[in-house]
Amino acid sequence: MSVRVLNPNAEVLNKSAALHMTINAAKGLQDVLKSNLGPKGTIKMLVGGSGDIKLTKDGNTLLKEMQIQNPTAIMIARTAVAQDDISGDGTTCTVIFIGELMKQSERCIDEGMHPRVLVDGFEIAKRATLQFLDTFKTPVVMGDEPDNEILKMVARTTLRTKLYEGLADQLTDIVVNSVLCIRKPEEPIDLFMVEIMHMRHKFDVDTRLVEGLVLDHGSRHPDMKRRAENCHILTCNVSLEYEKSEINAGFFYSNAEQREAMVTAERRSVDERVQKIIELKNKVCAGNDNSFVIINQKGIDPPSLDLLAREGIIALRRAKRRNMERLVLACGGEAVNSVDDLTPESLGWAGLVYEHVLGEEKYTFVEQVKNPHSCTILIKGPNDHTIAQIKDAVRDGLRSVKNTLEDECVVLGAGAFEVAARQHLINEVKKTVQGRAQLGVEAFANALLVVPKTLAENAGLDTQDVIISLTSEHDKGNVVGLNLQDGEPIDPLLAGIFDNYSVKRQLINSGPVIASQLLLVDEVIRAGRNMRKPT
Amino acid sequence: MREIVTIQVGEFANFVGSHFWNFQDELLGLASDPESDPIFRNHNLNMDVLYRSGETHQGVATYTPRLVSVNLKGSLGTMSSRGTLYNEGSSSRSVSSTTWFGDVDTQRSEPRKRNLFLQSLYEEEQKVGKEIEDKDIVGSLDEDVECWTDFSKSHYHPQSLYELNGLWMDSKDFNNYGIGKDVFSEASRGEEICDRLRFFVEECDHIQGIKFLVDDSGGFSAVAADFLENMADEYTNVPVLLYSVRSPMSQMSPKKTVSNKLHDAISLSRLSSLCKLFTPIGLPSLTGSKASKYLNLGDEKPYRSSAVYAAALHASTIPFRMQPTSSDSSEVSTSMDVNTLVQLLTGRGRQNIVTILDSAMPAPTLAGKQLENTLLTNLQSLTPEVNEDVEDNQAVESMCILGALRSEDKEALVSEVKNAVDASYEQAITKTKPLFCNLSVSRCPLPVPLPFPSIFGNLVGIKGEILSSPVSDSLYRGSLDVHSIPVATRWRSSSAILPFLESRMGNLEKLGIQWGAMGSDVVRSWGFGREELQEMRENLSKMVSELNPQFFESSDSD
Repeated sequence: MSVRVLNPNAEVLNKSAALHMTINAAKGLQDVLKSNLGPKGTIKMLVGGSGDIKLTKDGNTLLKEMQIQNPTAIMIARTAVAQDDISGDGTTCTVIFIGELMKQSERCIDEGMHPRVLVDGFEIAKRATLQFLDTFKTPVVMGDEPDNEILKMVARTTLRTKLYEGLADQLTDIVVNSVLCIRKPEEPIDLFMVEIMHMRHKFDVDTRLVEGLVLDHGSRHPDMKRRAENCHILTCNVSLEYEKSEINAGFFYSNAEQREAMVTAERRSVDERVQKIIELKNKVCAGNDNSFVIINQKGIDPPSLDLLAREGIIALRRAKRRNMERLVLACGGEAVNSVDDLTPESLGWAGLVYEHVLGEEKYTFVEQVKNPHSCTILIKGPNDHTIAQIKDAVRDGLRSVKNTLEDECVVLGAGAFEVAARQHLINEVKKTVQGRAQLGVEAFANALLVVPKTLAENAGLDTQDVIISLTSEHDKGNVVGLNLQDGEPIDPLLAGIFDNYSVKRQLINSGPVIASQLLLVDEVIRAGRNMRKPT
Repeated sequence: MREIVTIQVGEFANFVGSHFWNFQDELLGLASDPESDPIFRNHNLNMDVLYRSGETHQGVATYTPRLVSVNLKGSLGTMSSRGTLYNEGSSSRSVSSTTWFGDVDTQRSEPRKRNLFLQSLYEEEQKVGKEIEDKDIVGSLDEDVECWTDFSKSHYHPQSLYELNGLWMDSKDFNNYGIGKDVFSEASRGEEICDRLRFFVEECDHIQGIKFLVDDSGGFSAVAADFLENMADEYTNVPVLLYSVRSPMSQMSPKKTVSNKLHDAISLSRLSSLCKLFTPIGLPSLTGSKASKYLNLGDEKPYRSSAVYAAALHASTIPFRMQPTSSDSSEVSTSMDVNTLVQLLTGRGRQNIVTILDSAMPAPTLAGKQLENTLLTNLQSLTPEVNEDVEDNQAVESMCILGALRSEDKEALVSEVKNAVDASYEQAITKTKPLFCNLSVSRCPLPVPLPFPSIFGNLVGIKGEILSSPVSDSLYRGSLDVHSIPVATRWRSSSAILPFLESRMGNLEKLGIQWGAMGSDVVRSWGFGREELQEMRENLSKMVSELNPQFFESSDSD
């Protein structure tokens, strides 16, 4: 082979070996992830080389923590992670779906089928499934008054796959309320406006929704108040520290006095800025006992802090850029970029501002705000593992609510869609297909069943019994999902189990594309490294 | 007090950084040890510039570097990414999930073995176990250091060590600008890294600058560039000192490929446009270079070569933390802040921001026969592709000398060092004198910590003095034989850097921009459009023209 001539170390796998390598890699990855799926899945504990422990139930986190080396597995992992980036969920599903497509294909190919024909079948089946999804989905109207019940059910379905039921149900309300809080009519939902903050403190059930903001820093002056009521909030991006500006770069002074003079002049301009803020404070706080809080994106140095503290002002420096936006949404007013723009109208309002200290960590709570269009989910837990778990779950929950609001429809869960789509493909679509591509459609249809099968397997049920009872119930004309408690068919509508339309759609779109690409690989060339080695 | 935050991005940058923090840790240890040499006990250096004080949840006080380190997943070896100090006390057994009542599926990676050095640190903490001989430790380190944590004795804050996960890539494959291009922005990694940095900056009352080390031989230069871009938005007036460090290994391959050359050009152009001072460090081969006259290095081990660079890094940044008490104390002289250094080197006439770093390790003894000549000639460039024979009367220099010796084992006074340096410039008739030279002196030499590699030759004495005859047969002397060394470093803004700039500019033009260029596919696959490339070339040619006034005239004639 010519490659050998070019590079004697190059390793070449021919057609069938290449195919088997990719299929094995896909199956291997599937095996790792499939026990994660669903509300009965297992949680993974990863122990790193240094003894570091990570606990995760989230497919996306798990993939990122793994050291994957096989090129096929990396391709699948990238697709799955992209799935999460786009739609916020479905990482595990993507991996097991691709794995199952490869598994089904293997059987056909071993019987002498050409991958090309299979791929054609996949394409037909994919299009048919997407069409079917559009007829199968359950539309929900999301006008000015969204249907909270549906949102809660979607969020609960997601959360229960990540957290135990009690906690999941508690978080359901938090997640739904926070998305509704930041939702603005006629605008796409920006989930970044929900701040997710965590404190290693108390217990997981102390996780709560703060209508307002929690900042992960506090004032840096011993005399500033730790708690204030009725606060004017100044959100600004103004440097309140002395710095040698570029223009005054003349660092070579001819004598010490000149240098002194230069420094004093610099200092004075900072002080003037501080003075302007103090003037505004005196204006709005005169004759009442309101407080004044500055939250600055730039720095504030100790002399400035001193001046502010003397006036009873609370000042926070180096706030996150995103918090500037969130603060304005939560407290009102506007972010000020220059002290010349200071007006009473630019100030926001919060009923309560207080500081909470945990060891070296400080948190500042800005609560009782006027018009919360931004809020904070404050995650609490006794250790980092708990916090990380809840964080993953909350992220997914937020995405699922957002998706529902944007899709304006949901899909019945608990495997109902997969069973229905499979029956549709076998009973209807397959007949319309000419020739051997039929087998491709069939392989695709069977691969869809991997979701209910895996759910059943993780719940300790007999997969074949389950599939038979589900399909026969479906053929009676009912929509059926799987009850994981007893393995009997249930109506997901009544049980309140819903999945996101966009997640399913993305899954059906991307899975077959990657599987087809992998199937059509007929030669693998790699210089210098042994790729038969297991991952 | 003016704080500095340190950032280390990439494999080799972390190697250099690890040595650097070992020096600091050693200085801290010696300063509090009543039995140590008084020169270490009152060094008049303010460690708070680099370190932060904190406390754990249990209320134990901590003192850790203000550091953000970024590296690939799996590069931390036996160290936990949360550091060692802030562990929750509870052992790992109690972590069983409280959020999930289902089964737990455990996947264990092969545990990494601690080497002798780390074992001895661990046992020291637990106060159990047998003593491990220092000799064995040094030997084992020379044998089997694999990652930078293997020889690190410093404690790090949980916010400090960041691993890039989800890349599924070997460090060998992470080797060009294109591959690192979206790493920072994807999967909210950038956001997490910036949050780490913000944590340290928020604590600073008055930050003087950011010291940024990047291993720019591969994808990390793209990560660093995106990071810097983000910082420029957020911390507009905080000057960034950028050291681009490369291991000799990364430049070993005999012929550079088109992709390497383009990477170098793009990396230089992007990084230099985002900092105040750009200092490339990393000779293609240290072993043969004059910089290692008294040293026995091996190019293939990053553990050894990074030690030399770390010493230079330490010395060059000493002026930033000298206590500016009573103008000049007897221990230190001429403190500077980052901004002052930047203004000094870049602000006079020429706006050249790419500087050369020279180092002499160990620095020669003052009372030597002809110090005047030895000091200046001993300073050898650590910056590659430098033209040494250039006459540049516009050059600006800033020198820093630590712990220079007067005779065999006596530290020289600050004034003696000053006089000696003055004299040496007076005598150096052969070369054009620089336009301006700043000199900072500290009497405190560089302490050699135990995990320092055995790189000293047999002419180096216990205090780093140069001996006239070999002390022993051993070719490699390490921390057990040499306890401290004097170091001299010099920043140089000079047209000697021109070859470095010109070769990169030429490569970009020839391989990337010209019609039908060999590397046009490469740059396209990295996602650069023609306009971006031209902008980069503009940027490079601007830097060249700062140093070479004829450049514009000649290029106009095309």
